[in-house]
Amino acid sequence: MNSLPFAGALRPAALAGALLLALTAAAEPGPGYEAPNDWPQYHRSYNAWRFSPLKEIDKSNVGQLKVAWIHQPGNITHGIQATPIVIDGVLYYVSAENNVWAVDAATGRTLWHYAAKLNPLSKQVFYAAASRGVTVGRGKVFLGTLDGRFVALDQKTGKELWSTQLTDMKTQYGALFSAPPQLAGDILFGGTTGGDQPISGKIYAVDADTGKPAWTFDILKDDPASWPGDSRAKGGGSAWMPGTYDPRTGTIYIGTSNAAPDYFNADRKGDNKHTASLLALDPKSGTLKWARQEIPHDSWDFDSAYEALMVRDKDGKERIVHLNKGGFVFVMDKDDGQLENVWQFAQHVNWVKGIDPKSGRLIDPVYPEEGKRKTFCPNLLGARSWNHGAYNPGTGLWYSHGMEVCNEVVAGRDDPANLTPISALSLGIDEIKLVPPPDDKPHGRLDARDPLTGKRKWSIRYDMPPLSSVLTTAGGLVFTGDMEGRIYGYDADTGKELWRFNAGSGLRGGPVSYAAGGRQYIVVPTGLGSHAPGFLAGAYPQIKDLPGGAALIAFTLQ
Amino acid sequence: MNIDRMRSAAATVQRGSPVRGWLLLGLAFTFECAAVAPPAGGAEAAAVSIQAGAPSAAAVDLDDPARIEAGRKRFNKTCAGYCHGFEGKGGRAPDFRGRTDLPPQFAFDTITRGRTGADVMPPWGGAFSVEQIWELVAYLQYLGRQPAE
Repeated sequence: MNSLPFAGALRPAALAGALLLALTAAAEPGPGYEAPNDWPQYHRSYNAWRFSPLKEIDKSNVGQLKVAWIHQPGNITHGIQATPIVIDGVLYYVSAENNVWAVDAATGRTLWHYAAKLNPLSKQVFYAAASRGVTVGRGKVFLGTLDGRFVALDQKTGKELWSTQLTDMKTQYGALFSAPPQLAGDILFGGTTGGDQPISGKIYAVDADTGKPAWTFDILKDDPASWPGDSRAKGGGSAWMPGTYDPRTGTIYIGTSNAAPDYFNADRKGDNKHTASLLALDPKSGTLKWARQEIPHDSWDFDSAYEALMVRDKDGKERIVHLNKGGFVFVMDKDDGQLENVWQFAQHVNWVKGIDPKSGRLIDPVYPEEGKRKTFCPNLLGARSWNHGAYNPGTGLWYSHGMEVCNEVVAGRDDPANLTPISALSLGIDEIKLVPPPDDKPHGRLDARDPLTGKRKWSIRYDMPPLSSVLTTAGGLVFTGDMEGRIYGYDADTGKELWRFNAGSGLRGGPVSYAAGGRQYIVVPTGLGSHAPGFLAGAYPQIKDLPGGAALIAFTLQ
Repeated sequence: MNIDRMRSAAATVQRGSPVRGWLLLGLAFTFECAAVAPPAGGAEAAAVSIQAGAPSAAAVDLDDPARIEAGRKRFNKTCAGYCHGFEGKGGRAPDFRGRTDLPPQFAFDTITRGRTGADVMPPWGGAFSVEQIWELVAYLQYLGRQPAE
């Protein structure tokens, strides 16, 4: 679907790519191994592994990695949060304010640049400036914009082919697409920001070739038992991260956010479906196949928006492994969402005694109460931020960052007068303060775990929680980086640090690997951005002194 | 201007507030703000119209304990939760304690219009009334007089 023949200047790169098969792992079949030289979609493959089958760079030589090129988009606002896409020797990514770049993946030379003409309202939104990527396929580069549109560009020239306005910025609190819309055949779909805002979250879909709207899915269930009074109209639930599409079964998997107001739950007594849920949708009709609500009546900002990792169990059955911000991983049947297991990922969890691994029932949850100060672990950023984990089929391990930071919250009703601008958040608080976990210092981790049971093989502790997504490769390596700009290469089996590079500004995007011109590359987006470091600064005063930046750095062996 | 709302905000000051004992002194709001309508049409219009009619810092008593307390409460409910940290500590902005580089009008304008650098602060001119913004400024000035940590 994604490998299109290139003409003209791009053809040599494509031919070189064809010679690279020797760099890859023994031709393994199936999902996770397809298109080994490319990074064709957000998580590389629809099973969300973030695993590159390339192995020219391995444990023995990773120490010799050197910078091959650096691409600088020029605008550092909120850094680079994208995961680049690489197809046939061309790398595509998006930088601040919806600037899309096509770059020669071997040299870093700009092939084309597209700057979206954004509605000035996009300057007034809370979730400003940053995007997490683009999607490439069907001869097009697809962008979700900061003013609520899907846009298609010509893959070879960057010229705009169509643009479709999907949200109403004024009435939906600036609902915009910070995540790249994803392809499901000829359907392009995606959700918006707004989980913490007084809107009713929706997932939008258009015809990928024409931009014509196909369907809109209302995330919040039309059910007064779930949403009493008028609470549904402002219940949040937006699906703000990219979904995935399994072409074998024709199923979209996409997670939804917390319910709003976040901590003030008195006006929405009910289970608040389908917030904090993983949804399985039919891309043709936009109808729900099934939903697994992980946190009924969420009152802690515990989204289920993260990646739906798909791995095989010992019987060869594929399971979805899904981290919720509340600190638990839900393991479920990929075809009906039936629970197989729930295991605790976060070290410090106090909002619930546990979650029944069979029924999913919350055991003795502790809810926020109006006017009362309570400490909740994890904090509102979650047991991990949205920075994705990676799964390596060679080790059978899932590598994911975690953060151990709590918050003290006094729940309170939002002042309606303060909810007028499109930037307003509906946190439902009187006060909030990030605090260390009880009897511990705030910290971050990189865990290597069995994704089905949570059994930990190794773990690295960091003073400050890294916010980079993780990459793993068939070379037996794990790559990530921290908020201070250190990029790490670890041994995937042991966690031993094998390589490190100081980029000078922190990591918030998705490192990728691909082959171009006969070499394997590791490309790392750098430049600290997003609101998460700002929230975390309450626990880490040193964050305010960390520099911003924006540089895409490519490494290869000399 | 919604004096009732201001009165209500001042009257529900929390225990342990730094200015609690001074509170009653501050209930007489005397400055002129009637010329400025509270924003009704969302941020787009509000961000501009507030600027046009806002009273200058000189017309507002930024030392008024009730105004500081109202600002403290609103700050912790909104600004702190969004980005700036509890009592102005933490967040990507420098701590507000001990700050001497935030003249009142500059602080008012920044809250109203927002700013963009390596990070983004959206405009909040549509979220708050003029008085509410001055309350926030009064609280920032109060924090600026506290020793930096």
